[in-house]
Amino acid sequence: MPMYNSYPLIIILVLFISAFAIPIFKSIKMARIIGISAAAISFVLSILTLMGVKADGAYYFRVGHFDAPWGIEFHIGIIEGLMGVLFMTVSLAVLWFSVYSIGHDLSKKKVPLFYTLVNLLVGSLLGIVFSDDLFNCFVFIEISSIASCGIVVVKDKKENIKAALKYLILSSLGSGLVLMGIALVYSLTGHLNMPHAHDVFVSIYPEHSRNMLIAVGLFTVGLGVKSAMFPLHTWLPDAHTYAPASSSALLSALVLKAYVILYIKIIYRLFGMSIVGDLPVLSIVLLLGSVGMIAGSVLAILQKNLKRMVAYSSVAQMGYVFFGIGLGTTMGLAAAIFQIFNHAFTKSALFLSAGSIIEKTGKKNISDLKGIGKEMPFTLAIFTIGGMSLVGIPLLSGFNSKWNFAVAVIEGHRVELLAVVLISSLLNALYYFPVIINGYFGEESLEGKVYRNTERPLKELLPIIVLVLGVIYFGVSGGGLLSLIEAGIPAIK
Amino acid sequence: MGHLLINYYETGAIILFGVGFVTLLAHGNLIKKIIGMNIMDTAVFLFFIAKGYIAGNEAPIIRSAKAANGYVNPVPTALMLTGIVVAVSITAFALALTIRVYEKYGTIDLNEIIKMGGE
Amino acid sequence: MNKIHKEAEKSDILTEVGKLIIPFIQVFAIYVILNGHLSPGGGFAGGTILGASMILHRLIFGWDHLISRLTYDRVMKWMCASLLIYGALKGYSFLTGGMHLQVWDVPLGSPGNLFSGGFILPLNIAVGIIVSITVYVFFKLFYEGTI
Repeated sequence: MPMYNSYPLIIILVLFISAFAIPIFKSIKMARIIGISAAAISFVLSILTLMGVKADGAYYFRVGHFDAPWGIEFHIGIIEGLMGVLFMTVSLAVLWFSVYSIGHDLSKKKVPLFYTLVNLLVGSLLGIVFSDDLFNCFVFIEISSIASCGIVVVKDKKENIKAALKYLILSSLGSGLVLMGIALVYSLTGHLNMPHAHDVFVSIYPEHSRNMLIAVGLFTVGLGVKSAMFPLHTWLPDAHTYAPASSSALLSALVLKAYVILYIKIIYRLFGMSIVGDLPVLSIVLLLGSVGMIAGSVLAILQKNLKRMVAYSSVAQMGYVFFGIGLGTTMGLAAAIFQIFNHAFTKSALFLSAGSIIEKTGKKNISDLKGIGKEMPFTLAIFTIGGMSLVGIPLLSGFNSKWNFAVAVIEGHRVELLAVVLISSLLNALYYFPVIINGYFGEESLEGKVYRNTERPLKELLPIIVLVLGVIYFGVSGGGLLSLIEAGIPAIK
Repeated sequence: MGHLLINYYETGAIILFGVGFVTLLAHGNLIKKIIGMNIMDTAVFLFFIAKGYIAGNEAPIIRSAKAANGYVNPVPTALMLTGIVVAVSITAFALALTIRVYEKYGTIDLNEIIKMGGE
Repeated sequence: MNKIHKEAEKSDILTEVGKLIIPFIQVFAIYVILNGHLSPGGGFAGGTILGASMILHRLIFGWDHLISRLTYDRVMKWMCASLLIYGALKGYSFLTGGMHLQVWDVPLGSPGNLFSGGFILPLNIAVGIIVSITVYVFFKLFYEGTI
């Protein structure tokens, strides 16, 4: 058995053990060293896993001494390997940036707690992505919901606690629904392992179709609450606005994605397209995704706070992912996974640069940020590249993502949905461009500002520049990633 | 209708799930929301464990040298132990946050807290 | 708002009864933890009983009595050490099982013995310590407003 088979488990173990080792040493320096070195080791291991899976194909890794269905198994294919690399890259960049910025938002006593919670969060998200057993996924879901509420409430202001409480209550609502869905699956099949339960489902589908419809519906609503599907997104603006900058980046870029990956695995591995194709669930997901794409952008236009506008933009971009899943074709699924990559890099760069602007100038509203381009040119340049990527300017990854969605829509013979994609791209421009234009141009805003007055030193901007380089790389050469995703999709089924 | 009465554990569990769900959403008081969350989780545990019960069999513990006729399925009970621990930890976290909210806002009604806003 | 409740005055009945009962509760908790793989109980249940005994001690004897035994630092060190031991044992078992390595494994023993069942006994002890400390920390957080 090749060595890289055990790397996913080692990644999760390293992240959890480092999270528990941090409270022993009470100094901030030791917390940073342990946290960042654990993330770096996991990053290297995830790249080695992806290279191994690309060469040899997908494999099952049994955790412990018992095979499935009595034991727990991990299934690592190309998609899970790619998700591992994505999560570790973004979290390593955010942790690197937090070395310079987290001291301003939190009190000194709470900084080691932040590193513990971030490692716990990323470890549990990777557990959701890798695991092939439903109840194991549920335990990781609960760990990640406590850890993500934790990184919102680490900053001790009153609106943080209100946002974290709303997030916790709605999140536990979602978890309760997912647990009921798992109970229905167990009562129908007697298995909790996904491929074994799938075999039983295929054979009992004709007489138990109503039960399976209820189970799919419970999973859709439960995971939809946790990953901000349109009408269930109400916790997102508060939680992502009031959290410290690094927490917002992690929440928006990674946490929403792991639940969508679990939803994709449930639809394709547990139930299978032969069953889900008969049920009306995917049309509802498509409808809610399209409404989310437009409504999220419309709500973002009305916002005055910079971070709140970026948070509503997250709702719109997650609408794209649900739109892709709802199309039901292979190309739609590949476009959805490519959008996951695009949004993770872009939104983390946007949140980190927006947090940087707010921290250095102390102004939170968009109307106060006129002329900021002269004071902080590089930070606003990063924000510009991120915004243009989400609008869909060519050579950036957002354009590739929208192109993939257009190709998927045309291939699936639903050309009328092309209008939705185009309208939402235009709406994106309506709220990103005013910030950029007011920042850089306009004579009366620029007078009185000193060049590079409140700019961050270049060394501190380096993590965000790494994320932006990722955005440009996926824009210029997106085809390689897309063909890799399409090669990995058969292994999910 | 006969099906519902034969499987009375599962029927009771679904009714409790509905009660907990509506309590979680409808009431504004935070403590009532946490109670609703607990009722909802407990209902799912009841459903799961009732699925493992086989009438006439014993608990899966070896008491003496003589083995019983059959044993109840122990897998759901073991899974639900984990589930109970998870539910207790989320309840404890939510209650700690409620105390902090009361210190900062002076009320524990979620509708009033949202109206109070504040930057 | 640090102290939510006033400290109650010392009562002779409670002190004498507490001195007799708390050791019995703790011995019973240790029995439940150690017999987790043979009868109902195990780490969670036994840890809760142990935590309840610590809460009872805190309520009867007040904070001064415990000031040298259950401080925040010592409690956190015990909890992190238990979590690390749990993680190391579990990691060893998972990795050797997953990679199909033939290395030394904890002997399984015969059913019904106390020292049987492989890894379950050390894991139960670790879980018992963690759960008792968590229950006590949450009680202190709610009762006094600070850890």
